[in-house]
Parts: sequence; structure tokens; C-alpha cells
Amino acid sequence: MPTGMIPGVGIFQAGSTVDSHLRIRDCRAVTTAPAPEPAGDSSLVLAAREGDRAAFGGLYARYARMVHGILLARVPASDVDDLVQDVFLRALPRLRDLRDVARFGPWIAAITRNRANDYYRQTRAVAAVTESLPEVEAELPASDTAPDAEAAAILAFVRSLPETYRETLILRLVEGMTGPEIAVRTGLTPGSVRVNLHRGMQQLREKLHQASIGSGLEADSSSRRNSAAQGKNLLRRGNQP
Amino acid sequence: MKDDYLWDGSGEPDPEIQKLETRLAKFRHQGEAPEFSRISAARQPRFWQRLVSSHWSFRLAAATAAVLFIAAFGILRWSQKPGTTSEPGWDVESVAGTPKVESSAFGKHAGATKLGIGQTLVTDSHSKANISIADIGTVNVEANTRLRLVAGGNGHNRLALDRGTIHAYIWALPGEFTVDTPSAIAVDLGCSYTLEVDDSGAGLLRTKLGWVGFKLDGREAFIPAGAVCATRPKVGPGTPYFDDASASFRAALSKFDFGASTPEERSAELRKILAESRQRDALTVWHLLARVDESERGSVYDRLATLVPPPSGVSRDGILGLDQKMLDLWWNQLGLGDASLWRTWERSWSQAKS
Repeated sequence: MPTGMIPGVGIFQAGSTVDSHLRIRDCRAVTTAPAPEPAGDSSLVLAAREGDRAAFGGLYARYARMVHGILLARVPASDVDDLVQDVFLRALPRLRDLRDVARFGPWIAAITRNRANDYYRQTRAVAAVTESLPEVEAELPASDTAPDAEAAAILAFVRSLPETYRETLILRLVEGMTGPEIAVRTGLTPGSVRVNLHRGMQQLREKLHQASIGSGLEADSSSRRNSAAQGKNLLRRGNQP
Repeated sequence: MKDDYLWDGSGEPDPEIQKLETRLAKFRHQGEAPEFSRISAARQPRFWQRLVSSHWSFRLAAATAAVLFIAAFGILRWSQKPGTTSEPGWDVESVAGTPKVESSAFGKHAGATKLGIGQTLVTDSHSKANISIADIGTVNVEANTRLRLVAGGNGHNRLALDRGTIHAYIWALPGEFTVDTPSAIAVDLGCSYTLEVDDSGAGLLRTKLGWVGFKLDGREAFIPAGAVCATRPKVGPGTPYFDDASASFRAALSKFDFGASTPEERSAELRKILAESRQRDALTVWHLLARVDESERGSVYDRLATLVPPPSGVSRDGILGLDQKMLDLWWNQLGLGDASLWRTWERSWSQAKS
């Protein structure tokens, strides 16, 4: 499997691997054709089923960002890392139940979404994240630096988007996955991913711009209001660090 | 094209997106792969491999074969008895009163009992129960409920709810947990939901989280969180709606689905539904596309196009002809989930059923 950087993005972690066919650019048209299986997933799944630790590690390396992103779209950021490991540990003994080994990505994505649901069932806050900007805003660090506060505020806005859009946008903007990669990993059609990215980004821009002129959040503390305001104004300011 | 940068990072960089990437990078996955200590270093040899590899005499082989034959015969006879199970059952506990599995009542202090395949769980007006299904989820069973375990294991977990109310919290893979009712089949797509069935067989499904698919004989409904869908015997699932829709909207929808006795009445209710629909009610209007007569489909198309413009790749003629791909594309525009997920699990589920 070749390794490398997606041209123009340059935001993959050092050492991360990218399948060669993720470079394809011919899937831009809206299509319902399912995304192809990432090369080698089947053999990794089969080997992992047989107890091959390295193979399961390979699946982790390929899918950890996706799992992380799906969780980040649904649960508090502080709990996401633990849940990522939990998802893989839950998936491991159930690999034998995976009927179509080529569908590992959609399979573990579903496990991840259900784990996020379970998180709220366990914490008795079932409807908390969905369209709940104030709660997400509660993650804003009270005395953090301005960039961190901005980041938290922006994440809050992303997470206020409809579920489909926020998941795809987080995979793109936070995890650094490209549209074709998101399609391949999640099993969504490239057309759907493209639509989700485009419409999600459109809604996010609107929200950020609307917020920057004073509508929107009702934070409890002034520090959070200030932090949120910094985030809201991000798109109006220059590209400063 | 500016959108290319959002799509795959190519083309002219979009400064706004770059800013967002920079800011949000702090939330990116940084963790290293954990030690998966629970994975076995080597696969356990299969049973037949252990048999072949072990050193045993012909006499021992013959004796073992005889024992296996007798055991298999016994299991076969046992499994053919009604009300017994050939597979491990699901754990059931009493939450209140004394529910019954078949004719055996069990109280709160009796601990967990098993609900086997083919067996029936009944709660009376004073009893409630909780079903735990390993790796699948839990089902809370309300009073005055009767359900059967139809199938369990191998990714196919199926209850039949004859009457009463259940609350399902499912974390299995989408499509692996289904509930038959007298008038529709609820297919879990990763969610929690409440399902009620009355004595006439009419049902009501309310999704709290995730998605549920409701289907009967090709008539299907996608029910996202916050939405409700009624079902009636011999009709199947009605049209789903968000539970914050106006009372008049819901009344018109109920008459349209189940109450109108003439085409004229149905048309009148349809006009009310379309006139009162909010943008959020695009969920309902999308479903109506496949539920109205061809002569009325144009008006539904026009209303939906006003609420959520059709995406590229969707034409009026295609929708009027109920082109499945176009319907799915438009559904994806509603922001309620991706239809391809449902199609994938629906295929898998249908294949497994047949």
C-alpha cells in the first residue's frame, strides 16, 4: 500500500497511510454508486479475525480518525479518546459477526454511532448534543487562550448543524480527511459526501456570519460569551495564528 | 473551482476553510494505537481440528460417535417441542409485579430468567420487565404487553410485539434488531425508540435517537429522532411526522393515511397537509411523494421543492415517475441522514431474511 500526502491538503499526521485510490478525482459528480472498498481491508479483517494483532492495528490506523470524528460530532470532546478505544475493543470480538468483510468501514461507523447513543443513554442525557449549542458551548475553556476558545466555539457551531452535515464536516475539517476518503471509509456515496460537505459548509458559514453580528448564543458566563464571540468573529478577521 | 478545496484539498485554497482547519486541528485524533491485549495471539483451533490432531483410538472414536449421535438425536427431539429453545435465550428480569415467560411467572427477586426462541413474555396491568440482549441492547417492556422472541443470534434478532408497549435501546449494528407488529416491521438503524401496539393491531412508533425504518410489503417509512409514525393493520406504516407539528397538520395526516374513505376526502386532506407544512415537515412531504396518486404527485413535488430545493441530479419527471435514486438524493438533502445507509442495511436484512 503506497503512502503519502493528499496533494493540496497536507494535514495528515506524519506516518499515516493513504490508499493509492484515494487520490482519484473522477468521483466528483453526484452519483449513488457506493464508494469502493479501501484496498486491503478484507485481508486485514480476515487476518484480525484469526488473531493477528498487527492486522487489527492496521485497521485501527486506518479507521481511528473516522471513529474519532464520528464521536466528536456527538459526545463531549473530553470523552472522545476513551470512546475511540472502547469502540475498537467492542468491535474486536465481534469481527466474526461481520458478514461482508469488505464493509468494515460502514460496520465500525455504525458501531461508533451506536456507542455514542449508548453514551447518552448511560449518562441520562439522551438529547443533549443534538442541536444543543449551549451544552456544547459548556466545553469552552473558561480561561483558555483566544485560539483555543475560538476553536471550541467553532466546534460548537459545527456540532449545531444537522447530524449528517456535522459528521462529514468534522471528518473533513477536524480529522483532515478528504471527501473521497470520507466516502471510502464510511461507505457513503461520493455524491452524498460532496453534498453534505457543500451544504454543511454553507450552513456553517451562515451560522458563523450570523453570530458575528450579534444573534445566537446565550452563554451563562461572561467569559464564555467572550470566548464564543471570539469564535463567531473568526471569519471576519484575518488569518492570524 | 473553489469547492474543490473543500472536496479534496485541490484547487485554489479557500482561506475560510483553511482558517477553520487550523483552528479545529487541536481536536484532531492524536492517539496512538492501544495494545489490543484482549485479542488472542493465535486463533483457537476449530473443534474438528482438535479432533483430527489428537491421538485417539478407533474404539474411542466409535464410542464418541455413538455419544454424538445420541446427543444430536436428543437435541433434535427436544428442539421440536413447542415452547422450548434450541439457542440461548435472552435474559429477562421483572421490574415490577410478576411477568410470565410462557406459563412461568417470575418476580423481582427471582433474578434473570430466559426468554427462549418461540417463547412468549406477557406482562399484566401490574407487571413490567426488562430484556437484556448481550451486544444488542435492552428492551423495557411496559405493563399489558405480550411479545415473542422470534429469532436471536447471528445478526438476526427479532421480536414480535403482539400488543403493548416497549422501549428499545439498541446498540447493535443497524438492521440487526427488528420488531414485528401486526401491521408493520420496525427495523432498528441505530437508535432508541418506543413502539406501542393496541389490541386492534394498530401501532405507533416514536424515535428518540437515531433512525428507525418501518416497513410492510414495500411501503416504508424512515423515522428520524423526534419523529412519529403510526401504522394500521392491512395498511402498513402511515406517513411519519415530527411530533412538534401543528395539531391540524397531524389530524389531516391521520385522516389522509387512515381515515379518508373517498379519493375526494383524501385530496382535501392532502391540500391541508401541504398548505400547513413547515420546512421541518419536508420529512412528511417527501414520504407523500410515493403515497399519493400520480395526478397529485405534481403538487407534492412543488411543495417539497419550495421547502427543500431538489439537488442536481433530481428532475421533476424522475420524481413523478418515483425514480428511487432521485428520491434518495432528495432525501439526502433533508439533512436527516443518508438514504444509502438505509438501503445498505435494508438489502442486507432482506437477503438474510430470505
